[in-house]
Amino acid sequence: MSFLEVKNIFKSFGKTEVLKGIDFSMEKGEVLAIIGSSGSGKTTLLRCMNFLETPDTGTISVNGNVLFNSDEPPYSDAEKREKRLHFGLVFQQFNLFPQYNVLKNVSLAPDLRQLKGKKFSKAEKKEIKKQIDDNSRRLLDTVGLSDKVNNFPCELSGGQQQRVAIARALALNPDILCFDEPTSALDPELTGEVLRVIRELKTSDRTMIVVTHEMNFARGVADKVIFMADGVIEEYGTPDEVFGAPKSEKTKSFLEKSLENP
Amino acid sequence: MKKRILSVLVGAVMCLGLCGCGGGESNSNVNGSVDNSGANSTNNNSSADGDSSTPDNNGGETDWDYIVNKGKLVVGITYNVPMNYQDDSGELIGFETEFTKAVCEKLGVEPDFQVIEWTKKEFELNAKTIDLVWNGLTVTDERKENMLFSKSYLKNKQATVVKAENADKYPTTAEMGSITIAVEGGSAGEDVIKNDEALKGCTKVSMEAQKDALLEVKTGQADACIIDFTMAKAATAEGTDFADLKVLENIQNTDEEYAIGARLGDTETIAKINAAIDELAAEGKLLEIAKKYNLDDALLIGA
Amino acid sequence: MSFWDVTRQLADGFGITLLIFGITLAASLPLGLIITFGSMSKIPPIKWITKVFVWIIRGTPLMLQIILIFYGPGLLNWDVKLPRLTAVLIAFVINYSCYFSEIYRGGIESISKGQYEAGQVLGMTKTQIFFKIVLFQVVKRIVPPMGNEIITLVKDTSLARVIAVAELVKAAENIISVKGIIWPLFYVGAFYLLFSALLTMLLNFAEKKMNYYSG
Repeated sequence: MSFLEVKNIFKSFGKTEVLKGIDFSMEKGEVLAIIGSSGSGKTTLLRCMNFLETPDTGTISVNGNVLFNSDEPPYSDAEKREKRLHFGLVFQQFNLFPQYNVLKNVSLAPDLRQLKGKKFSKAEKKEIKKQIDDNSRRLLDTVGLSDKVNNFPCELSGGQQQRVAIARALALNPDILCFDEPTSALDPELTGEVLRVIRELKTSDRTMIVVTHEMNFARGVADKVIFMADGVIEEYGTPDEVFGAPKSEKTKSFLEKSLENP
Repeated sequence: MKKRILSVLVGAVMCLGLCGCGGGESNSNVNGSVDNSGANSTNNNSSADGDSSTPDNNGGETDWDYIVNKGKLVVGITYNVPMNYQDDSGELIGFETEFTKAVCEKLGVEPDFQVIEWTKKEFELNAKTIDLVWNGLTVTDERKENMLFSKSYLKNKQATVVKAENADKYPTTAEMGSITIAVEGGSAGEDVIKNDEALKGCTKVSMEAQKDALLEVKTGQADACIIDFTMAKAATAEGTDFADLKVLENIQNTDEEYAIGARLGDTETIAKINAAIDELAAEGKLLEIAKKYNLDDALLIGA
Repeated sequence: MSFWDVTRQLADGFGITLLIFGITLAASLPLGLIITFGSMSKIPPIKWITKVFVWIIRGTPLMLQIILIFYGPGLLNWDVKLPRLTAVLIAFVINYSCYFSEIYRGGIESISKGQYEAGQVLGMTKTQIFFKIVLFQVVKRIVPPMGNEIITLVKDTSLARVIAVAELVKAAENIISVKGIIWPLFYVGAFYLLFSALLTMLLNFAEKKMNYYSG
């Protein structure tokens, strides 16, 4: 059994069928790149795994735990909250919390999870808070922003903001970290710093799924590549297979167009 | 029945609300609704007709019982000299104030003076937020449809007030046919315009209060105003800001009478008040109060 | 009548004005939020009843509402007698709650979906997302429109005089009626100006306080 198993995912919005039976699996420590033209359903797939959308049918399991099964009754909000923590998500638009400084952006979620609604003595609280802050600082250090902990998001460049968002997503230590076109909202000269961080995370054996338009990045960093078109997985394989010897006509024409206008 | 009252209520509220809004605060100089009196036959009193079923007889309680059980008689007034006004120490004095107190003493109830907006006096009565209108209230046929009047006790007339420098322009109402005249909405002054053929062509401005009508004349927004004679005399006296206005003594508007207004159907209350007035007149007390405020010439009873 | 006497009489009226202002503000700020939740409710009957109510209140003059609340019960022969000031306060609180609720709603709806989703994927509860993430951003955004509405409230208090509540303007009008002097009516402007200047300073201070971040 693979680390992540996604089976038979269908999803429609009204009459529009966006996902038409998605099956794939990946192993721990792998980096999976999902490519495809816009409207192919790749972002919806990512949102389904993060419980921002509910698939119409299918199952999702991580490490042997079934997180989603369309045969089960709808999950409560509390159940969803626990399940979705197996995944982390980095958004295209960063979505940092503007009113909090960088450190608080990273530490807020762990704070709420570990301290709210639980009874601790003041000393215990202080100790937990210190651990969370230390961990947040360490994460900010790994994304190269240890000098910005006290800045506010509006004072940072887009690339720096996205790196904070990555540290924030890591703070809850998810099994799988998902990226939804993490560089699409960035100026070209800022994409490099974000991609570098993702590359570094790979060396520390993070399991990651990256929806991206950066073909060179997908080719150079991913262990597996999925090409999606019209709500189905059109092609799946290693980067060399997908980029070097695509089997499907759709893949070929997509890759040709992407190389013309990167 | 409830439905009918409700619909009338909504209608009445809208009607009065609109009049009220016209006189609202948005533009303090041109407030009041301007309409041509020739075409004006509407009257916001008519909307109160449907409410005249008000006196409710809860378990045989009469209108007078209702007042006695409350222990106080709520009298609707506005501040105006010399009827009801505050002296320098803030104490309420005036002819009507003392008259009211004297009558209440006879009746053994406590008077409770409640300042109201004059244009909403019928509302106040029917909503039972006041029991009487007792404030130099002129008896008119239209008002008789909405209120029960006591016996009349004071002569009144409507006075025409203009800027002193214009006083000679208007020897009779015939010369006032095409000017702008301010009145208090729903007042006897408004009726003067309605009833005088010579005034049919004038432009009438209905104000919230008599003082606003005076302000119209002072500021030149209106050429003249028609208000109660007693109020006009007092308000244009030396030392006031309206001293540059003049009451046109040559123009005699119809004589009128002041009486106390109650809810239609409050016959017992009015009977008790009439009896008390007669007693006060016989004792000479009424004359004494009238003299104090220079109104003894106008007194209809007990003079 | 001396300047001092007039000032003293107007000060009484100003007291009523401040009372109407203060109570309206204190009650409408939280009540408005409840109405907002009603109008954004996912349960259709609650949503639509709230929306119709807000439409009626915002679509009719406050003056009319004051008259209806004060005279209505008596005209229908109900056994309720509201004191004048109470009727004014009820009308003002209802009216301003509805206006505030719409400002709140606009503020809440202006927060991007991404903020909610960021909270969700970080495992926060709906309450945590509202209070820890959304609320502060909403407050920052609505301070300017709320400031407008609050300054308007200062001046709207003068509507209380339609049922003869002796607020500031009515107090000045009474002086005209009794003393025949006009200037106090314009002198009240000074009271309003002074008060709104104070409020403007407070609101600017609040705005500045929250301007440590942009967006």
